[in-house]
Amino acid sequence: MPVGKRRSSLIRSPQFSSLVILIVLLAVFAIVDRNFLSPLNISNMMAFLPELGIIALGMTLLLTAGEFDLSVGAVFGLAPVVVMLLVQNGGWDIGIALLAGLVLCIAIGAINGLIVTKIGISSFLVTLSMLLVVRGAALYITQGFPLKSWDQPGFFVTLLAGSLNIGSFRFYTSLWWFIGLSLFAIYILRYAKLGNWISAIGSNRNAAVARGVPADTVKIWLFIATSVLAGLAGMISAFRISAASPVAGTGYELEVIAMVVVGGTALTGGRGTILGTIVGALMLRAIRNGIVLIGVPGLAYNIFVGLIILAMLILHALLQKNAARS
Amino acid sequence: MDVLRLQNLQKSFGSVCALKNASLTLREGEVVALLGDNGAGKSTLIKAISGVFPVDRGDIFVRGEKVSIRSTRDAMDLGIETIHQDTSLAPDLSIARNLFLGREPVNFGWLGVFAPLDLAKLRKAASEVLKRVGISKKLDADALVSTLSGGERQSIAISRAMQFAAKVIILDEPTNNLGVEETHGVLRFVKEVRDAGHSVLLITHNIHHVFQVADRIIVMRRGEIVAEQIVADTDLLTVESIITGADMSALLKEARAK
Repeated sequence: MPVGKRRSSLIRSPQFSSLVILIVLLAVFAIVDRNFLSPLNISNMMAFLPELGIIALGMTLLLTAGEFDLSVGAVFGLAPVVVMLLVQNGGWDIGIALLAGLVLCIAIGAINGLIVTKIGISSFLVTLSMLLVVRGAALYITQGFPLKSWDQPGFFVTLLAGSLNIGSFRFYTSLWWFIGLSLFAIYILRYAKLGNWISAIGSNRNAAVARGVPADTVKIWLFIATSVLAGLAGMISAFRISAASPVAGTGYELEVIAMVVVGGTALTGGRGTILGTIVGALMLRAIRNGIVLIGVPGLAYNIFVGLIILAMLILHALLQKNAARS
Repeated sequence: MDVLRLQNLQKSFGSVCALKNASLTLREGEVVALLGDNGAGKSTLIKAISGVFPVDRGDIFVRGEKVSIRSTRDAMDLGIETIHQDTSLAPDLSIARNLFLGREPVNFGWLGVFAPLDLAKLRKAASEVLKRVGISKKLDADALVSTLSGGERQSIAISRAMQFAAKVIILDEPTNNLGVEETHGVLRFVKEVRDAGHSVLLITHNIHHVFQVADRIIVMRRGEIVAEQIVADTDLLTVESIITGADMSALLKEARAK
């Protein structure tokens, strides 16, 4: 492909237009409120970013394969609650309790995946039911009360929620998790054999199956990966704030899906972009943070978040139409 | 040489007998057309050969050797490639990635599904395929399949089958939803495939297309093979009457008298 053509297709790509909008948004916030780009504010944004961003990576792969998962927010809440109960009430070692949490997330993902692929119920309905089951379980086992989280420093706390000061910036280890997992996800989707399969399954499942691609197995593992990432994000969050709440992560499923589609991944499958998702995660984080800083009343800010997401989606749709015409 | 021989294949779905005692042979380098009305058992037959589901009874021989086909993978490994009407390609993937879907060239193969694609090899092999099949319009191996026309997609799907040196290529309604010119392109391509030594099993509703490319015609009705005709020795009306099962002898006589 000639360089010029490649460049123009890059400019027309959805992740590129999202990036442009992100830069514009950042510039607007920075101009209106100088504190937006202050080390403290950037550190704050970078602390929150990975928690939803990590889930969004799994969700991107899942959406590319043509499925989605509404139970991620509930898993985000349940995993730390179970781990903490095992430690505090069961007297388990923190390492073994974390392992039990991991197994729980794998089980939730596997159940989602098996029901969707083997019984053939849409992932919307299956994971919506799972959301209720998982959230209900978290509320029941805690009787609705938040648990004090693990606040003794140690290997696992450092691993998941340690922090590091560079100048006046404070970085949490979760950021490195997010960067590492992002690179891995980019590699999977763009360069690995598995990525080819994921896109093919979401684009035309029958064609993939006819070529011998194990579509069901791939989907089940993607459900598992998404659940595990949601549980990991939940643990990171619980360690960071030293509390595990049974209602943590409420509404995260929709916010994560918004990040993914704002980045340019198709809700209908086949077209996924991790870079776009990273841009989408940054954008939603910056919007949530920025509109508070520039003085939009707190109760009104969902209006703005919703409008900006809608504007992004309209833009993607128009670009797509344009590309199809040319 | 018989490339593919089916002997007394049977398949039922519940109480419905979709295939009863179907036997046929496919020789090297010939195009055999499989004709029949809706529900005649054509799809069931090709699904059984391509490994979508196993048959209840009967044997399949590839080059004289008895084989068992339990998955689409088995069929492909035996050199049987099936091209379904609209379901063969993933529109969001490039031509190159589609050509090698499920058989991607990779580096570090021990990494399994995590192995990196050999993108250089992929692109090079794809351009060679495109050049060899001589698709009239110059196509870019990196172009997305969604940007191609229906005829181009069929040609890509057929060349993919040729790429893997398939002994038997099964074409399921390859000219459905195609324009006149594209249809001719695909039919010409089918002849080229045969001349390259592949055997083709062609499923279609359009008898005119059959007379343009096929060497033999096999007619199915209600799960059975009811007739076999050499194209050179028969005519359209005869075949049509066999398909419908109607007594068209009077009509035939009249037609021949003219």
